[in-house]
Amino acid sequence: MTKITPDFAEELKKYGDDTALICFNCGTCVAICPLVSESFPRRLIRYIQIGARDRILENADDLWKCLHCGLCTQTCPRAADPGEVILSLKRFTVANWRKSYNV
Amino acid sequence: MFSPQTIIEILADNVRKTRNPFGLNKTGLNSWWKNSNVNQTGDTLLFTGLMYQLVPYIKATTKYLEKYEDTPKADYIRYGKRIPKPLVNLGLKIISSKEDKKYFNTLLCNIVKILRSSDVSFAYNPELDEYSGVLLYDMGDQESFVTHAEYVANKLQDAGIRKLITVDPHTTYAVKVLYPKYTGISFEVQTYFELARLKGGDSSSEVTLHDPCFYGRYLELADGPKDLLTGLGVSCDPINTSGAFTSCCGGPAESISPKLAEEVGKRRVAELQATGRPIVAMCPICLANLQKAGAEVEDLSSVLVQFVS
Ligand code: SF4
Ligand code: SF4
Repeated sequence: MTKITPDFAEELKKYGDDTALICFNCGTCVAICPLVSESFPRRLIRYIQIGARDRILENADDLWKCLHCGLCTQTCPRAADPGEVILSLKRFTVANWRKSYNV
Repeated sequence: MFSPQTIIEILADNVRKTRNPFGLNKTGLNSWWKNSNVNQTGDTLLFTGLMYQLVPYIKATTKYLEKYEDTPKADYIRYGKRIPKPLVNLGLKIISSKEDKKYFNTLLCNIVKILRSSDVSFAYNPELDEYSGVLLYDMGDQESFVTHAEYVANKLQDAGIRKLITVDPHTTYAVKVLYPKYTGISFEVQTYFELARLKGGDSSSEVTLHDPCFYGRYLELADGPKDLLTGLGVSCDPINTSGAFTSCCGGPAESISPKLAEEVGKRRVAELQATGRPIVAMCPICLANLQKAGAEVEDLSSVLVQFVS
């Protein structure tokens, strides 16, 4: 079962622009992404929308497959900036790792 | 795929201690300028960001990492305690190829010749030329990136530098977009090809340009090299996947997954080779990754230097 963190999108604002919520899940970014892996980056953006914070942390390594090439951002019909959302998730994850070293 | 956490901590630690991601001694790393008789003072600085100089080390490290990817030994890299020795100081103990170093140094010497031939007045002070930190930014280590960027931006500002002439898209993006945003310090930034004023010969050659993501999309500079070459008589009709819709060379994945970098690189090579024309890149990362994926690729500076009188 996935724990839901309703204010996750709010928490993410610290790490970049909060464009994830305007994504309407069309999948254009998945079609154009050179990684051709399952629903990337759309799936991660959906996780933000539903507050699936733990899911993101559990699958965090996948974020670093992103080449930061910007093609998804270029083609997103909602200007949801998916490439930058992935970069924000990387920043969020790195900050979480660092916090855990200091516990 | 390797553990991003481990790779990021190694890179960040190296940048903290040595100001470059491979923990290298800067004097050894940055020696290309020694025979170029460069003027070291002035407020317009040729700023390489050490990217061309780092590529031979990136290539050597990737070659090393790819032996272990998806093998049980990949876990050595995950559990820091048992990192194989050569990876403790990435690059330091890795034998990078002498030919590679010479090749990438020559490309920087080409750029100096192009700028001189275009009557651009500039200084090159190796003491001020630093790695921009852009890999830390791309990896999401924002804290380490900003700390390093502040060090570099302040150093340049204290030395009275007002304008930077850049040579690769990643450094250009860092100093033009990221430094003002995250350090509050701005410089006038132009790439060397924006300043190039060369005279055409009677060339009627054709090339296919591989636009890097950062010139094609983030900085919208892809028309510069195309117009410059066209003006010199080198035809470079754009392919479908160019400019704002250019495809990635795969290079950015190489520290985390050399396999993925190669897979994406091969796909890009197929698109470029379909034209049958010689391929030209304008970023050291693209150049190395496309060459590794099996293509014959030249750097833009090697083409332009042929028009230096
Ligand atoms: S292209 Fe944009 S709107 Fe469509 S799924 Fe991707 S991020 Fe969402
Ligand atoms: S920026 Fe990342 S997620 Fe977007 S298209 Fe490129 S590789 Fe895929």
